[in-house]
Amino acid sequence: MLEYRAYEEIERYLNGQMAAEEKAGFEALLHADVRLAEQVREHRHMLQALKGYGKRQHLRQQLNLIHSEMEAGGQATTPNPWKVYWNRQKQTIAVAASVSLLSVFGTLWSVQQMKAPVKQQTARYVELRREVERLKKAQTALMNGINDASKPVAPRPAAFSGTGFAISADGYVVTSSHVVEGADSIMIENKSGLKYKVSEIYRDEIHDLSILKIADESFEGFGKLPYTFKDTESDLGERVFTLGYPREDIVFGEGSLSSASGFEGDTTAYQISIPLNPGNSGGPLLDDKGNLIGVISGKQAGQEGAAFAIKSAYLLQLIEELANAGQVQPLTLPKNNALSAQSRPQQLKKLKEYIFIVKVYN
Amino acid sequence: MKKRLYETDEAVIEGIRRSDERALAHLYKLYFPMISHFILSNSGTEDEAKDIYQEGVIVFYEKTRDNSLELTCQIKTYLYSVCRRLWLKRLAEKGRYATRLDETDSFVPVEEDTLQHEEQERQFGVMGDALEQLGEPCRSLIEDYYIRMQNMQDITDKFGYTNTDTAKNQKYKCLQRLKKIFFATYKPEV
Repeated sequence: MLEYRAYEEIERYLNGQMAAEEKAGFEALLHADVRLAEQVREHRHMLQALKGYGKRQHLRQQLNLIHSEMEAGGQATTPNPWKVYWNRQKQTIAVAASVSLLSVFGTLWSVQQMKAPVKQQTARYVELRREVERLKKAQTALMNGINDASKPVAPRPAAFSGTGFAISADGYVVTSSHVVEGADSIMIENKSGLKYKVSEIYRDEIHDLSILKIADESFEGFGKLPYTFKDTESDLGERVFTLGYPREDIVFGEGSLSSASGFEGDTTAYQISIPLNPGNSGGPLLDDKGNLIGVISGKQAGQEGAAFAIKSAYLLQLIEELANAGQVQPLTLPKNNALSAQSRPQQLKKLKEYIFIVKVYN
Repeated sequence: MKKRLYETDEAVIEGIRRSDERALAHLYKLYFPMISHFILSNSGTEDEAKDIYQEGVIVFYEKTRDNSLELTCQIKTYLYSVCRRLWLKRLAEKGRYATRLDETDSFVPVEEDTLQHEEQERQFGVMGDALEQLGEPCRSLIEDYYIRMQNMQDITDKFGYTNTDTAKNQKYKCLQRLKKIFFATYKPEV
């Protein structure tokens, strides 16, 4: 019952309400009694906390009051809501943006990966006509013309060139139709420097063949052609060769017949393994014996050793059509093969007289 | 008119020392927009801004009241520093790592002040809980006597005790319980 008196004592001591004498007595007691001292310490601590708590609560109320008063006054200014929104959400937005970017580019990349093999299959077919550096030279010619008007203007160089070969003694020459496409005038020229003006008299776009006829009056005939035309299919693996003009000089190319069908399964052509270049188009494809088995037409872009030649059967068909159309006299095709027993260099020596560079002007 | 009274920092501090409520109100209204802007720019809400700002003002107010404030800069900078410190702590607790704060003002180191404040907050939090657990009428009795400083006679009348002795005895019992609850959870950090 009297315990609370002890508390009162402690409180009086803590509040400094004791008289000097009493205080001294109490302090002496504190020194002696450790438990009492501990109690006093605790009590003080708790009262401090309690009072501090009370004060803090009061202060808080006061601040809340001020705050609501301020808000009522409408003084609270907030920064631009967009900015606030952005600041609050920017981490999320950044993550979302990077995820979507990643998935977009990831998808693009993987789609490309999947498409890569398909792409190879849809490789382009390249026609092998040679585009001569036209612009540059044309400009030089023009400048020469201005500088020295009295001088005769230098002959305009050809825009395109290809290869062609004779199919009959009376001046018929065959080449690829893409070589002479869009031509104003066509000239042919062989290794020994014979130069003729020719005109296109028949064209088969489907098989990419054109027949040209020499229009020069001075032309007197080729003489007897040394090769014959084969009308049956040649066998796989047969050794074949060609002569052509991928540059200004005649170039020999050798290889074998690597497939009985051409680009994308085209049965009208062979696939051959001869390295070819622009300018080879329209060249003859001959077998070991010197029989003409095809006409060079093109190659597959980005694929090594895949060149194509139109089968000679279609050339013969074309020649027949030409005669049936009644525009010209039936062609007399060569009957005897003069090459079959000879060595390759000998064959070439004879052949090259009948192989022409086809120059196309437009 | 009222505003002119507290135009300088010194005047505000003087006012707070004199327990002038208008000084506090003036100070509060003056710097709230700044802190609010700071908190809102650093992924906080309106309520959090209010919360943090009040903490800051409390630190300033209490330190001013017991003359322990060593102000080496403007009140504005001090408040900003305290609030900034508190907000960083709050962000860390929320698990948001603000690698880069969008600073809206310069600041001074105030770690000591905020640490002290946090320790006090903890203590008062425990006290608040303890009082909550104490229940009525003990709580009102204790609060009336120790916080609102009413005298024993008024309390005796208010609670309908027969005499002050009964009231004192009751108060003693309540305080005993409060003490037990309080020290059960609160260990002062040495």
